[in-house]
Amino acid sequence: MVDVDLSQPPFTFLDDEGRERIRRGIDLAYFDRDEIILETGQPGEYVFLIHKGEVAELDTTQPGAREHIGHYTQGDLFGAISILNGTSRYRFRAEQETLCYLLPKALFLQLCDAYPPFAEFFRQRLAHKTRLLTEQRAEGGVTMAGFMLARVNECMRSPLCVAEDSTIAEAVTTLHDSHADSLLVEGPQGPGMVTKTDLLNALVLDGQPQSSPVQAVARFELVTARPDQYLFEVLVMMTRAKVERVVVMEHGVPVGVVELTDVLSFFSSRSYVVSLEVEQADSLEALAAASRRTPELVRALMAQGVKLRFAMGLLAALNGRIINKAWGFLIDARYHHDSCLMVMGSEGRGEQILKTDQDNGLILADGLAWPDCAEQMQRLTDTLIELGYPPCPGNIMVSNPEWVGTESQWRSRITRWVERRDGDSLMKLAIMLDAHAVAGNPALLEGVRRSLFEQCAGDELLLSYFARPVLHFSTPLTLFGSLKKPQHGIDIKKGGIFPIVHGVRVMALERQVMVTSTLDRLDALVEDGRLEARFAEDLGEALALFTELRLRQQLERLDDEDGRRDGEPDRVVVQELSSLERDLLREALHIVKEFKQRLSHRFHLEYS
Amino acid sequence: MLRALRRAADRRRQAHGDYAWLFYPYTGDELVAIDCQTTGQDPRSAELVSIAAVRLRGDRVLTSDSLDLRLRRPASLDSEALRLCGLRRVDLVDGESLDQALVRLLDFVGNRPLVGWHLDHALAILNRELRGRLGFDLPNARIDVAQEYLRQRRRSHLELGRQPRFEQVAEGLGLPVMGPHTALGNAVTTALMHLRLSRGALPVP
Repeated sequence: MVDVDLSQPPFTFLDDEGRERIRRGIDLAYFDRDEIILETGQPGEYVFLIHKGEVAELDTTQPGAREHIGHYTQGDLFGAISILNGTSRYRFRAEQETLCYLLPKALFLQLCDAYPPFAEFFRQRLAHKTRLLTEQRAEGGVTMAGFMLARVNECMRSPLCVAEDSTIAEAVTTLHDSHADSLLVEGPQGPGMVTKTDLLNALVLDGQPQSSPVQAVARFELVTARPDQYLFEVLVMMTRAKVERVVVMEHGVPVGVVELTDVLSFFSSRSYVVSLEVEQADSLEALAAASRRTPELVRALMAQGVKLRFAMGLLAALNGRIINKAWGFLIDARYHHDSCLMVMGSEGRGEQILKTDQDNGLILADGLAWPDCAEQMQRLTDTLIELGYPPCPGNIMVSNPEWVGTESQWRSRITRWVERRDGDSLMKLAIMLDAHAVAGNPALLEGVRRSLFEQCAGDELLLSYFARPVLHFSTPLTLFGSLKKPQHGIDIKKGGIFPIVHGVRVMALERQVMVTSTLDRLDALVEDGRLEARFAEDLGEALALFTELRLRQQLERLDDEDGRRDGEPDRVVVQELSSLERDLLREALHIVKEFKQRLSHRFHLEYS
Repeated sequence: MLRALRRAADRRRQAHGDYAWLFYPYTGDELVAIDCQTTGQDPRSAELVSIAAVRLRGDRVLTSDSLDLRLRRPASLDSEALRLCGLRRVDLVDGESLDQALVRLLDFVGNRPLVGWHLDHALAILNRELRGRLGFDLPNARIDVAQEYLRQRRRSHLELGRQPRFEQVAEGLGLPVMGPHTALGNAVTTALMHLRLSRGALPVP
């Protein structure tokens, strides 16, 4: 009887007759701003279909900002679950004047009986939402899908220990009896690791007798983890340290061993396969093949709901290894100690998930004679392009002599940038601040960065200039707190990611925080007392959300490369998000706004 | 004044008729929004094309309980009037006779107060037909949303422009126009306007 849009699910599960029954059966209700539509514990009498307006779903048991659990706008539907459950679990409140269609309970239940797919839709939603909520409430704000919550102690095997005076023969017997690949040997400074390979090498290659002590074969530089760490962190560790076993220590005593194969049985993804391929690559072609598979890995990790922070960690480690390998193939080993290849920008912060432009530079030790350096660097850049890292449009690459220099050259460059203080110099300073060594001798970069901090940290005027760009892009929120320009999408990079990253970078510079990743910087700033832990955590979560939304857009673009979706990857169309995501986005943008206000207060940006 | 006298006379005349209950004072909490489409603007000659009515209770518009009557094509319905109503001749082929329609309308409305946009105009036409057939005018209390709107608007705007148009008012109140150019759609929109106006002042522009 009334024109109501029934072309969206779940109404698409009905036939014309069912839709007609809805049209005949619904009423209209009008709710004022802040009026409570459905109270917690109230029996559900209607399914509400919003014709116009906005409704918030509130969990009244949660304090303050966390009570917001859902947000519904035009075309959304709520109250169905209250009918299925009997009573409403949450409070629904009109955020704006809202016009709702009311579908009476009796009719809704009749339709559910008559059209099973229609009923199915609501059950599914229920499960989906419950999952979202458990994730959100998971201890300490850690959001991970079920399997990602696996901790080390769920996966480790008990350690196989032999006495410190055991012989190789005894060790082999023990290994054989317990079908293991490795064992621990007590040593003077703690336990050491012996693997089957070690034993074989000792017996066959070194020709040691079976009676020689196993301690001599053992390696004591162990990679260790705590039993309460996430399994995923261990995987990152293994990738980074190029080992296959991690010893789990508790109070200085080994309590278990995590083997790579065990971790893999937990993550049936390809993450390891890719990192293995990278490690095993013995030519540039093989490396390129492995490198091409990283987007696949990202997709697999995303599909499994891996928390972005860990995915970023793994990818940064992988990218670092790829570049390092390429460096190893191309650059003569005798230069390795006297030069340092650094990656900068998002790569330096370890926040790049898909391969973006290469931003890199080279630091040479003072007095190093490297005649064909320029040619070699040109080759390195070309190789990296082949490996799938597109060239940098700003030409911040080792092939550009401006980004190659000796230590003292770099120092004088930094001094010049600090003095000039114009936009270009400030940008270069920012890039340099995020630099991270991937190959060669990292001590060179350390030295350069230390002098950068020394020159800048105390310079209030420079800090103020440096912080100014944070305010360049307005946060896409109106004063009324609703998202601006919903149709055109919001630029998540300018509006969300950039202010956080740059703001945190400025603070890191001020407090001389050496780490480069934004999340690590936040942790360090909390420790320093510059930020309170709660706010830092909020900022981190907001950044993770923005990055995730952006990444999803980028992955979609990878899917159809002929450019059907030719928009910008940084633009997020709010309508395409689920109501929960919309709500999270709104919260996150509010946090960005608050952060900007703090920065502008701290660095006196009001007058600029 | 004249209307009150006429109502008193009607009431006495109908005291023992079928429709005596229409004249009792209403005690419930429901209202009825009505809208008519006619063949012209002149209440003396225009004929009814369709009538729609929808009940309101509290903050609800009971669209599930509504009346939408299409009448058999009146003689004076020419193509000009059709265009005005957004109807096609086909739509009116199996319409109801005016007698039946008026009886159903009276049963639906009862003695509830009426809400409408320029209600007097619609009622003038309805009453002309009613008086000819049943011998009385609709005695119900009346709420004209157009008047209501003007009254509220006058509070915030001293100088007053011309008569506001239906669609403009709906937009100004942040309401969607339901199924434009149908009697039922207009009735529902009118009902919403009334809810909106009765619950708070106009938003200050």
